[in-house]
Amino acid sequence: MRKFLNLLKKEIKELITLQLVISLLFTVTLFYFIGSIVQSEVKKIEEKRGIYVLNLDDSQESKILLDGLSHAGFEVNILDEENKDKAIEYAKNSDINLLIVIPEGFGQAASEFQFKDIEAYSFIRSFSMGGSVNAAVVDQVISQINEIISNNFLKANFPDLNPEDIKNPIQSKGFVVVKDVVAEGSASEVSSIVYSQSIFIPVILMMVIVFSSQMVLSAMAMEKQDKTLETLLTVPVSRKQIAIAKMVASGLVGLLSAVIYMLGFRYYMNGLMGDITTSNQLNDLIQRLGLQYTSADYALLGISIFFAILCALGLTIILGVMVENLKSAQTMILPLTFLVMLPYFISMFSDINSLSLPIRVLVMLIPFSHPFIASQNILLRNYDVVFYGIAYMLVVFVILIFICGRIFSTDKVLTMKLRFGKKNLLDR
Amino acid sequence: MGDVILKVSGLKKNYGKVEALKGIDFEVKKGEIFALIGPNGAGKTTTLRIVATLLTPTDGKVEFMGYDLKKNPDKIREGITYLPEEAGAYKNLTGLDYLKFMASFYAESPRDVDIYIERAMSIIGFKDRLKDKVGTYSKGMIRKLLLARALMTKPKLAILDEPTSGLDVINSLEVREVIKEFVKEGVSVLLSSHNMLEIDFLSDRVAIIDKGRILEIGEPKALKQKYSAENLEEVFRRLVQ
Repeated sequence: MRKFLNLLKKEIKELITLQLVISLLFTVTLFYFIGSIVQSEVKKIEEKRGIYVLNLDDSQESKILLDGLSHAGFEVNILDEENKDKAIEYAKNSDINLLIVIPEGFGQAASEFQFKDIEAYSFIRSFSMGGSVNAAVVDQVISQINEIISNNFLKANFPDLNPEDIKNPIQSKGFVVVKDVVAEGSASEVSSIVYSQSIFIPVILMMVIVFSSQMVLSAMAMEKQDKTLETLLTVPVSRKQIAIAKMVASGLVGLLSAVIYMLGFRYYMNGLMGDITTSNQLNDLIQRLGLQYTSADYALLGISIFFAILCALGLTIILGVMVENLKSAQTMILPLTFLVMLPYFISMFSDINSLSLPIRVLVMLIPFSHPFIASQNILLRNYDVVFYGIAYMLVVFVILIFICGRIFSTDKVLTMKLRFGKKNLLDR
Repeated sequence: MGDVILKVSGLKKNYGKVEALKGIDFEVKKGEIFALIGPNGAGKTTTLRIVATLLTPTDGKVEFMGYDLKKNPDKIREGITYLPEEAGAYKNLTGLDYLKFMASFYAESPRDVDIYIERAMSIIGFKDRLKDKVGTYSKGMIRKLLLARALMTKPKLAILDEPTSGLDVINSLEVREVIKEFVKEGVSVLLSSHNMLEIDFLSDRVAIIDKGRILEIGEPKALKQKYSAENLEEVFRRLVQ
């Protein structure tokens, strides 16, 4: 045990280099910086509901319309320009993004239910997030104007009826069904909130697996590149302990790196999406449907992730034996990254059960798919699938450790190489 | 010099179709320096790597202190240390941490580690830099650090592949003296070199190896007499011609 701890300590010291610390800090700072910028842009957009209006009509109807827009939350600014051209010119030279022109005779025409077009001028000054939002504001304004005019017309002609009842005579009542539980609510809202709250799980998974694997490969590559492996293999310590120490150290440093990256990523996502807060009503609905992880669920997901990491480390240490230096280690990580990315994207954008049988089998054969599958199935209480995944990963891990032990106990640990440009694996 | 501690018989090693060793036999006695000399590709390093438990022989037998290499590699590792020709040390560790790390595998108590470090310091000669990271050391400093690592535990057998490789004349002389000192204290040495003058100075017995076969074994003086040669280079030339 003492020898193993010495190996572990050495591996951790070798992996936590100044370059790694700087790279982690730089990435977190960068994420934080981008997140802050995006957040301030989002705030600006949220505040940007100010519109400028040139009212050439000046009738009672147009005044009612402007009052309606104010009540709907728009900040209405009236321009005093004589005509449309001067108003456009003024808007061009000012920081005005949206100009609404109410034409002369608009009120008169409206009273006869023969409407004149309202002109909306959007001034594009950039193609940033803020710039694109102006187009959405135009739609909101026009929609609000239509709402006000149609409501006024309906109120005038059918004073005893609610305009909303005339426009939408049938209301729907939505129910969400999860397994045996039925609850009243909106399926789209439930899906969207569960998705947004669990979006981090696949990202964390992917990062931990990729980071840990990269660490193992680097550790093996460094031993070979710095020519320290031969000496290490002749000291009186079991070869299995050498391999396991590399795996454990890489797993720990990979996990730590992933947590730090995730903190930065969270800042970034908060900036992009805003803090995810839900109404009590929606929380209550999600709770009634059982769409929340319990402590036992988190433990189960943790076990699934743990076995996926073990499989990744087992596979990577075998690949690591074949690398000759850090450069070849970078090449070697690509196929593994692909194996992690495939289930990651499928779980993010699709349902694994909806895939065709051959692709589903392929995905299920990849051990790293199972934590992704587990994260959704735990919520849906499909525990059989989760346990099957854990058992499968355990079997894969045992096989990988067996292969790894065989390689480390022979001279293949030194002689096995993967040569690119030639046919295949070559034993020297 | 007395008991045989290493016995190599009929040793063969193939790399695919290439026969690196074609059946070699030799013995190393307790307290002697036994050297393998020969040109590049003769099979010296392959032999040392097999004895150091790094490579598996294709055929033949290696016995160290009565332990069979194929059956008890772990037991053999307890009694040997190996200095490869092209070796390095962990760049992110300090020289002292590196020595402590390596010592911990042989030491039975923390006191042993201290004794090993003390011994290593007497070999190294740059104690003031031991707390610096290995990455900042020169090639010569790394070589001396590695040699100190190989000798500090006073192994039963130190396997040294080109021990003075990369060292200047002064450092090479110092290293040779250190090796001689440790042998006096009971360490046996199996070394290889293509520097035949070095071998002449250091070794008690030599094996001249070429193309995977041992051509001659004997004391340097006896070999020179046998072949009427002034030095081992001449002996070697006559043997291969």
